[in-house]
Amino acid sequence: MRRSLVLLKGLRNLVAKEVKEMVRDPRILLGIVIGPLLILPFMGLMIRISQETAMESMRNMSVAIIDFDGGVFAQNLTDFLQNSGVRIERQSTSNISEVAAVAQNSNITAVIVIPKDFSTNLTNGGQAEVEIYSVFRGGGVAESGTFSAVNSLLRAFEQKLTDQRLIEASLNPDAVLDPVDISAMSIVRGKPTDVNPDALFAVSMSQFLGFPFAILFLIILAMQLASTSVASEKEEKTLETLLSLPLSRFTILAGKLAGSVVVAAIGAAATILGVVYYIGAFSFGPSVQAPVDLGQVGLAPGLIGYVILGASLFVSLMSALAVAVVISLFAEDVRGAQSLLGFVYMPIFLPMLALIFTDINTLPLAVRIILLAIPFTHPMLAARAMITGDYFIAVLGIVYVAVFTLVILYVAARIFATEKILTMRIRFGKRRASAE
Amino acid sequence: MVYAVEAGDLGKRFGDIIALQGLTFRVEEGKIFGLIGPNGAGKTTALRIVSTLLLPTSGSASVFGHDVVNEASEVRRLITYLPEEAGAYKNLSGYEYLQFMGRFSSQNGEDLAKMVEDAASISGLGERLRDKVKTYSKGMKRRLLVARALMNKPKLAVLDEPTSGLDVLHSHHVRGIIKKYVEEQGVTVLLSSHNMLEVEYLCEKVALINKGKIVAEGAPSELKDKYKASNLEDVFAEVAGLA
Repeated sequence: MRRSLVLLKGLRNLVAKEVKEMVRDPRILLGIVIGPLLILPFMGLMIRISQETAMESMRNMSVAIIDFDGGVFAQNLTDFLQNSGVRIERQSTSNISEVAAVAQNSNITAVIVIPKDFSTNLTNGGQAEVEIYSVFRGGGVAESGTFSAVNSLLRAFEQKLTDQRLIEASLNPDAVLDPVDISAMSIVRGKPTDVNPDALFAVSMSQFLGFPFAILFLIILAMQLASTSVASEKEEKTLETLLSLPLSRFTILAGKLAGSVVVAAIGAAATILGVVYYIGAFSFGPSVQAPVDLGQVGLAPGLIGYVILGASLFVSLMSALAVAVVISLFAEDVRGAQSLLGFVYMPIFLPMLALIFTDINTLPLAVRIILLAIPFTHPMLAARAMITGDYFIAVLGIVYVAVFTLVILYVAARIFATEKILTMRIRFGKRRASAE
Repeated sequence: MVYAVEAGDLGKRFGDIIALQGLTFRVEEGKIFGLIGPNGAGKTTALRIVSTLLLPTSGSASVFGHDVVNEASEVRRLITYLPEEAGAYKNLSGYEYLQFMGRFSSQNGEDLAKMVEDAASISGLGERLRDKVKTYSKGMKRRLLVARALMNKPKLAVLDEPTSGLDVLHSHHVRGIIKKYVEEQGVTVLLSSHNMLEVEYLCEKVALINKGKIVAEGAPSELKDKYKASNLEDVFAEVAGLA
């Protein structure tokens, strides 16, 4: 009892020191806390501002109309645009060059030219023409949005005329234009639902794209912190003092891992906050498709899903930290440790890419085995299991990654417990003998 | 009699390099014992073995009767080790560093506060202890580390080149600290140095090491008399066959 209290006290002291050291390091503070907290919302803000500008210019869109026709359909078109919220700038001149010069220097989005026989052609059941000159002011998202808005309005006017003609011919416009009405629905977990599959895929894709990215970020961050923490003990020549303290080597190792987890969690929280604001910027404006309520279609993950995902994430994070610690034990300084760590990033990226674009069950057996052997595959499988409800593979993954982590931790503890921690090193550059 | 340190026929190899060959010495409790010799003689290796950081290839060593290999955790409870060129955590303040180190051996908050107070006085750094270690000069850092090594009144302080790289003033301060602390607290010190004049001033007993072997051992005055030398440097030159 007393022994474990002493161990706990030592561990707490070590973790507090690790966190203090890391958070006070300007590189770490800037890179993992302040950076994501500032840069992502700043990017989001920029996107939001540009979207707002686009929306604003669409709301206050004004077009110039040169009317050579003067007939009833020309008036109908003008009224239609006006009723849709477009401000109409009537032109006193009918010279397109003069109007173009005026438009370029005002906030006019486009110039619509209605030719002479516009109304006559439409009245006779023929085809009429309209010309649109969009005012180009240097491109950009906002500008392209207003161009398509003018086009859409003209298409809507055209649709209205089509419907009118069909009704006049005693035909049902829906039956003519859309003779087969297709209702797209989905089967989820063996049950039919009336949810559009496109909407469903959009939601699950956003999870599959967003989630691996978040996991990847957290894992790489934690690995960098853990390896920096170990390697800087060597670089700053503090390791020998630490190893001569009345502390078990396992406690030192656990302190390093726990300190890295705490700082990585702070970094992850900062990033998630940044991402939330960043993503929030995209949801601004009218939504094209109604969001899918995953709960209604039986896809909302239950408590067990979250527990399994949390456990899978935790063991994967620990395995990443253990790998980072073992790798950095071989390095002489922080730079060396970061270089060595570069070799393990590939196995982390690999499962993420593979699982975003393919289903693991459709891959050849050999590839599947390789992917399953990589611990970082498993939290992504667990994330997918939350949607599919197939938790068996996720639980199996947790057990595997836990065993993998224990083996790596055992190796790390063994190295820590021997003099190898002071004597072994992989040098980059010229070798140097060190007897003393 | 239980010695503070007892090394018997200690040997250490690093691959093809023989760092120590048959080192035997004893350190009495409450004394300052110096291992002296040139760079590469094996002093640091011997101190690292006593401090449980390296394993001997042959022979044995014990601290207050505890074997450094089989009872390493017992030994670590009795010693503090100051490595040569040691650093401190640069993003902590001097006070925070002392508190961090003190917590591993203090019994309670009061005990810790006393330790840190002692260390502050030993280091003589005053208000600068509130500043981050990265703002310290080499001499200030060494004073902080020496204070750390002595603040918990260890049974044995192992100090590897305690004044290494320090200027005259800082060296003088550090030597004064060690001598005073041993006299007042009864701490045993095992130190290494290649500065033989310093060792002559500090140590009651010295062992001269060359190429991993002890070439002479005794009190500085005895050795000087024996080899009819005016200082330990001359003794070393004589026994190492350099004279």
